[in-house]
Amino acid sequence: MRILQSWLHDYISFSLPPEELAEKLTMLGLEFESVERLGDKYRGFVVGKVLSCAPHPNAEKLTVCLVDVGRQTLQIVCGAPNVAAGQKVAVGLPGASVPKNQHDPSGPPFVLSRVKIRGVESAGMICSEFELDLGKDAAGIVVLDPRAKTGQSLSTHLGFDDVAYDVEITPNRPDWLSHIGIAREIGILVKRKSRLPRVRLKESGVPISRFLSVRVEDKTNCPRFAARMIRGVRIGPSPAWMQERLRNAGLRPRNNVVDITNYVMLECGHPLHAFDYALLRGRAIVVRQAAAGLRFTTLDGKEHALPDGTVMVCDADREVSIAGVMGGANSEINDATVDVVLEAAYWNPSSIRRTAKALGISTDASQRFERGADPHAVHYALERSASLVLELAGGTLLKGKIDVYPKKIRERVVSLRPARVNAVLGTTLKPDRVAAYLRLLEIRPVRGKGGTLRCTVPSYRVDVQREIDLIEEVARVYGYDRIEPKTSAFVDFDQPFPRTRAADGVRNALVGAGFTEAITISMQDEGRARSDGKQPVRILNPLGQEMAFLRTSLVPGLLDVVQRNQSYGNFDLRFFEIGHVFREDPEAPGRLIGDYAEEERVAIILAGNVAPRHWSQPPRKTDLFDLKGAVADHVEKITLDKCRFISYSTSDGLTDNTLAIEIHGSYAGYLGQVKQSFVTRAGIEGEIFVAEVSLASLKPGGEKKYEQLPRFPRVRRDISTFVDVSVSVGSLERAIVKAAGELLVGVELFDVYVGEKAPPGKKSLAFTLELMSRQKTLTDAEIDATVREVVGALEQEFGALLRSVQ
Amino acid sequence: MLQDIAQLRQQAETEIASVATAEHVEAFRVKFLARKGTIAALFDALKTVQPQDKPALGKALNELRTYVQQLVDAKASALQTRPAATSSLDLSLPGRRQYLGKKHPVTQTLDEITSIFVSMGFGIADGPEIEDDYHNFEALNFPPDHPARDMQDTFFVSRTALLRTHTSPVQVRVMEQHQPPVRVIMPGKVYRNEAINARSYCMFHQIEGLCVDRGVTFSELKGTLIAFIKKFYGSSTKYRFRPTFFPFTEPSADIYISCFICSGKGCRICKQAGWLEILGCGMVDPNVFKSVGYDAEKYTGYAFGMGIDRIALLRYGIDDIRLYFENDVRFLNQF
Repeated sequence: MRILQSWLHDYISFSLPPEELAEKLTMLGLEFESVERLGDKYRGFVVGKVLSCAPHPNAEKLTVCLVDVGRQTLQIVCGAPNVAAGQKVAVGLPGASVPKNQHDPSGPPFVLSRVKIRGVESAGMICSEFELDLGKDAAGIVVLDPRAKTGQSLSTHLGFDDVAYDVEITPNRPDWLSHIGIAREIGILVKRKSRLPRVRLKESGVPISRFLSVRVEDKTNCPRFAARMIRGVRIGPSPAWMQERLRNAGLRPRNNVVDITNYVMLECGHPLHAFDYALLRGRAIVVRQAAAGLRFTTLDGKEHALPDGTVMVCDADREVSIAGVMGGANSEINDATVDVVLEAAYWNPSSIRRTAKALGISTDASQRFERGADPHAVHYALERSASLVLELAGGTLLKGKIDVYPKKIRERVVSLRPARVNAVLGTTLKPDRVAAYLRLLEIRPVRGKGGTLRCTVPSYRVDVQREIDLIEEVARVYGYDRIEPKTSAFVDFDQPFPRTRAADGVRNALVGAGFTEAITISMQDEGRARSDGKQPVRILNPLGQEMAFLRTSLVPGLLDVVQRNQSYGNFDLRFFEIGHVFREDPEAPGRLIGDYAEEERVAIILAGNVAPRHWSQPPRKTDLFDLKGAVADHVEKITLDKCRFISYSTSDGLTDNTLAIEIHGSYAGYLGQVKQSFVTRAGIEGEIFVAEVSLASLKPGGEKKYEQLPRFPRVRRDISTFVDVSVSVGSLERAIVKAAGELLVGVELFDVYVGEKAPPGKKSLAFTLELMSRQKTLTDAEIDATVREVVGALEQEFGALLRSVQ
Repeated sequence: MLQDIAQLRQQAETEIASVATAEHVEAFRVKFLARKGTIAALFDALKTVQPQDKPALGKALNELRTYVQQLVDAKASALQTRPAATSSLDLSLPGRRQYLGKKHPVTQTLDEITSIFVSMGFGIADGPEIEDDYHNFEALNFPPDHPARDMQDTFFVSRTALLRTHTSPVQVRVMEQHQPPVRVIMPGKVYRNEAINARSYCMFHQIEGLCVDRGVTFSELKGTLIAFIKKFYGSSTKYRFRPTFFPFTEPSADIYISCFICSGKGCRICKQAGWLEILGCGMVDPNVFKSVGYDAEKYTGYAFGMGIDRIALLRYGIDDIRLYFENDVRFLNQF
């Protein structure tokens, strides 16, 4: 909303400098985007008087002028054919920035300096209308009113000294969408009342009812509809002062009648509409809902398919305006208009909002009506606009007005307990003070039972409906900065909320292990969202097709991160991300919203070399076992439980060589090598390894309990054996565990050999067994017996050939 | 024999003085202290002396051995502290580095803010990112067809389900499940249907705070948030609470702090205002209490919310919010 200082002065007098005014109103809840001094554009321009003109000695078309600019007389070289002694002209002094350059019409402003033109000194410039951005005339200089004061600043002379405030209005304060609304707030600051002008109307003897009838069929959505009619107007441009105000407030002037409706709206906040009476059929106005499927052309020339139930203003035959949103092209004021019908109505806010939303249009009128206009302002808006039409467009006003207002809307009365003000704010305000603050807002409190204040609220304050709304008003006027800050330093340790998030421990562990955290966007294209085979959730109104689905896995986003970093030349990458993934799954347990399953996960991704390059050793590429080890380490560290890996092959999913990860006996996630097709699609080089685990399964281990450290030595025996290449290490390990019995406390594969030194079809596997008893030191005999059991089992189950025991 | 011992002692003292390298120290040690060295020879000779002389001679020999060992140790350490001019180890070779992980700058900021509120007695709660209209809007006093809904452009996944536009629905979920007193912060991702550019993104992070109990006042809200501002931005930070509108709080305030980039003088970042808006807050609206079944006469409370991404943006001087989600290691490693 653009607010003009000069306009505010019509309703309240104040002398605060613009920045201070903005600051003070900010602290009352108005948000200022900018404070613009409109005259700034003409800083350095003054009214000058041409004292003499002489031909330029070296140029035919130039004139050398002596110009009185008040404090001094300047010599200026001028190229305009119309310059003459005695003229009052607009002079740009050296240093001034000329808005437009006639040699470069769309170029930037240029700054004047003292120059020599063909050998003659020139200190400034006599400007044309075009150069000053005041009009199109570039042929000659602007000749000002001969009464203009020599030396006066040009902006003062032109009346451009106004200040425009750009104010952001919160949706609860439609009353602020007007100059009188802002003037009322200034009234709080300067402790004066703002006043709208008094309207006196001269009516003719002919009653309006002879020409027009109004029938409201949809009384719910149109609680009040009022109209006046003026005959014999002359449509033309509105006067300069009105055009200037509208332009400075951001509206384009059209013609006098339309400008008046806009002007009154910006004055008092109530939107109006004007019809050409000649275009209304059947001398009637009917307010009713549109029939389904109707097409209607608004006055901006656009055709709309009206949603069912749109409230329309109609004549006897057809629709003429979308109520409270925009008028129709079929009945708008035009150059041939002679008789004018002015409409001032009060519309149901939610009906207007539904219509504006459905049509995708937002107008000055709809914005005000949907936030809630003032039903009582209908009268003023209508009378004020009628009087301005008579004044600026002539004509005669028909007697009386039509005002269909079957159920009067009363001013609201809201109760306020002064003690409650202090209970909410933490203040110690006395009831009299509370009442005084409310009166500043033109709220009228009356003391009722038990000290309760019965407060009558002005009808323009649609936001004040409850006690808490009054408390807010008191706080606002009292001043937020005057409410004393207190802290009770009360800490309730007995509350049911944790002090850390589940993700914190996981994140800290991964960062400690050299993984960098990525945060990727949850929205992606259909291909990525479908890549792990789950049913993704579709966004109905996405920013674009590349963001039309929610991720079902963190991996596709991380692949894009790898791609981006590779494109910048970084190939050794270790990332993790913690975030939510989503899928549509009516069967999923624990769903909160509809069929949408949501889960927080952590994913890690490895690419490139396993460690930074170092001169002491050749680089090694990351492989699946780096990932498997990292997963095992972290799962054990965080959950204090061993994680199990189960190999499974499936055609869907993102990975090959996939292992399912089991924690506390249930499925927690998977790891594997990203399928080549996804790597290629993401534009990545090299092999990529990922793991993705549900965060819920990474809950820190249960109760931590100390276990006695062993008191007896632990002995190691290395067993080296040949087995068929097809035998898996895992199955061998399980056999060792089973055969060794309770003395075995650890088994670790330490060597794998496949090659010429092994018999054909065989590989060598070497394990270290760790044996210990909690009761005693083991004897050689006991150790040997266990080893024999193990060797025997391996021979029997796998046909293993023992190479050595050490 | 005693004479031999004294002579050996003198010889050792003379020879050690001329020892200049580690190799010589070793040669000296071998000569005197090795199993076949001169002192060992005297110990061997001890076997042949008179039994009554043995204790005294043995003691003297032991003392000699200890003394020579001390000479060796002292010399060795003296040589070691000199610059290893002759060492073949090039100490300028680079050390063996590890990959070090980093938390995302948004997480770092979020963690810091979280820890301040946790230290003030707040717990942590979270909720789903796909929300229903009820929790995201209606229970928070955004009636259907209300213009306040335009304040937050929404992504919908169905007629009634949406991507939460703020973390405030977690407030509602917390209050639905717990009776007062409640003191909790709620960090998380939120989504707004806004075009992506250097200044805005369609996904960002918020921290929501909620405190409900008997006797909680606006004064307490101010005290708590001022404490946060001083801890997070420094104790000399100026602040102001400005009235504003949120559907779910009343009275509502925007908190501004003096711009820490220009110290309030006005710069590009604060749009010449000298102030930065960092936080929205207010007293929980009675209508919100009504939707969760709290007695608004008995309890009062405050709520606040802030955008983490923007706070981190200002703090680190990042000029393009999209950098957060590109995850370029050259960017992430700067924090």
